[in-house]
Amino acid sequence: MDDSAIQVEHASKKFKLRHGGSRTLKAMVLDYVRHRDSAVNREFWALKDVCFEVKKGETLGIIGANGAGKSTLLALISGTMEPTVGSIRTSGSMSSLLELGAGFHPELTGRENVFLYGAIMGLSRKQMKERLEAIVEFSELSKWIDEPVKHYSSGMYIRLGFAVAVEVDPEILLIDEVLAVGDASFQRKCLDRMKDFKTRKKTMLIISHDLPTIMAVSDRILFLEQGCVHGIGTPSGMVEEYHEFVRRKQALGAKRVWGTQEAVIEGVELSNGAGVRTDMFKSGETLMAKICYKTTRPIERPVFGFAISDLNGKVVYGNNTQIEKVIVPRIENAGEMILRIEKMSAAQGSYMLSFSIHSEDHLTNYCRLENTLEIKVTSDAQFEGCYMPCVWRQEAGRP
Amino acid sequence: MNDNLSRMWKALADIDKHRDLLAIMVGRNLKIRYKRSVLGFFWSLLNPLFFILIYAVFLKILKCYKAGDQLFLPMLVTGVITWQFLAMCLNDSLYSILGNANLVTKAVFPRIILPLSMAIGNLVNFLFSILIILCYVIVLKIGHFAPVSFVFLGLLPLAVATHFALCLGLGLILCCLNVFFRDTEHILSVGLLAWFFLTPVIYYLSDIPAEYQRLAFLNPMTGIITTYRSAFLGVGIMAPRLVFLSFAIAWGICIAGIAFFQRVQKRFVDEF
Repeated sequence: MDDSAIQVEHASKKFKLRHGGSRTLKAMVLDYVRHRDSAVNREFWALKDVCFEVKKGETLGIIGANGAGKSTLLALISGTMEPTVGSIRTSGSMSSLLELGAGFHPELTGRENVFLYGAIMGLSRKQMKERLEAIVEFSELSKWIDEPVKHYSSGMYIRLGFAVAVEVDPEILLIDEVLAVGDASFQRKCLDRMKDFKTRKKTMLIISHDLPTIMAVSDRILFLEQGCVHGIGTPSGMVEEYHEFVRRKQALGAKRVWGTQEAVIEGVELSNGAGVRTDMFKSGETLMAKICYKTTRPIERPVFGFAISDLNGKVVYGNNTQIEKVIVPRIENAGEMILRIEKMSAAQGSYMLSFSIHSEDHLTNYCRLENTLEIKVTSDAQFEGCYMPCVWRQEAGRP
Repeated sequence: MNDNLSRMWKALADIDKHRDLLAIMVGRNLKIRYKRSVLGFFWSLLNPLFFILIYAVFLKILKCYKAGDQLFLPMLVTGVITWQFLAMCLNDSLYSILGNANLVTKAVFPRIILPLSMAIGNLVNFLFSILIILCYVIVLKIGHFAPVSFVFLGLLPLAVATHFALCLGLGLILCCLNVFFRDTEHILSVGLLAWFFLTPVIYYLSDIPAEYQRLAFLNPMTGIITTYRSAFLGVGIMAPRLVFLSFAIAWGICIAGIAFFQRVQKRFVDEF
């Protein structure tokens, strides 16, 4: 028996980005005459070679930054869009509404829109009539159901949308960011209904930025990053990776190069104790950094410094030649400065390195490279922060 | 060819499966059109009535209205009202996809339902207009105002069906073009105006120079309006073969429209 509800195989989706809005016949004729295509500005792959499978009865959460391709993926699965490359197979009826309340016509009443919704999902009038009462009850709109939906508040709109989507009771439910709307009590109702879906062995795909909720509901989580599958796995594992990803992005955002340019750090080469170039280190091993600099004029008694920060931007360790009482008498033209950290004992994780050349009195910064290099540190021990050799000893018990 | 045929069958099967949706969409279109205006449905009658009035006055001033021609006004009424169906239907169809962009991008259902429901909504409207024409012609007959006879009334369903097929076919093509080229609207308004004067709507077919009369039947609307006039006024059809040619072209456009629509509909979402 085939127990997969959704199979996505090497799906990619390309969009053509057009500048200047929509295309006109005039533009097309002119392009034809000039043998060019002005309308298509550039191409953009919203999804790249995405593969995964969802089993029947499974709940898959989809997370990722804005623009990672989450909604495009859902559109491909629902069938409103077709993949440019690859294939998608689904089995079982699917709630085909990607956005709650999309398709509601403002001039029609709530009741009329419910029937329109049902018909789009392929239900007959009779089937919808049977469900109407439950929909009205769930959405708490009994007083409003015969009013045109243009008079509804946005919360009422979403409530009606969600009520219809779940009452239609499809085999596969696709939900794009519903949990962000509605008040707390309605959110709880939605969650209850989703849990009910789960117990009845229905398949669900949920997109949300609300990480705690998606962790609680999902069996597995798919983490999309710039159109590619970053990973798929346990909710806690994936959310942890996502947090790490967000932190790294912020850290990279803190990357900055500045200074008077009288001395410039042209490059930093990282290597391990054996002299092999790498950016992966084991905690407690040696880290060597070769700082290549160039000057525009001779500089007397400069100070070389460095700092190691975690992805939250917090400095874990920082030091310089002045503190270590190493005097660099003078630098001119080009040269190299070697830094050797004998025991780089940071905890496991990713770190950003900063380097600087500044004056003895700290008033002139010749060159500062802030958070420009990333290193990964692995460790067997589970300590936090920086390792400091320590000894534990139990005293004899007191009487 | 085989490919197109299977597409056609799929379109028909899709429509059959979504009958309820089609019915609701037709109702929705009619309801939205008349919900906001006080006079409601009567606008769709008043509109052609004003046109008829204007044409009648001007044709009289221009002396195209031959004295003693009792059939002139009924000729004008059938012409303008039946033309109105085509014009309104095409204008409505133009935005049947773009105007429902939120549905097209967010929901899965046979796209053909959208323009089809527009065409059917207009057809319902038109059927009421036909009743009005019939009442008018009956009054003429009872009052002996014009030599009207009903011997050819049996042609009416055939004319309506062909007329509808033409409207649907063109509407399907137009709504697609409008998705890809947003200036289709301007082309349509100019095209409709030219077509209006190329079709014997406000004149008799016999007003066309004799050597061009046969050619005029390449325009499907010529055959359709000729048949309407025959049905309502009881004038015999001069050239049944040419009318048949007109009808065949109309049905050909309908089939081509469905095939074209089914072919390009998958690309709609990428265009929004």
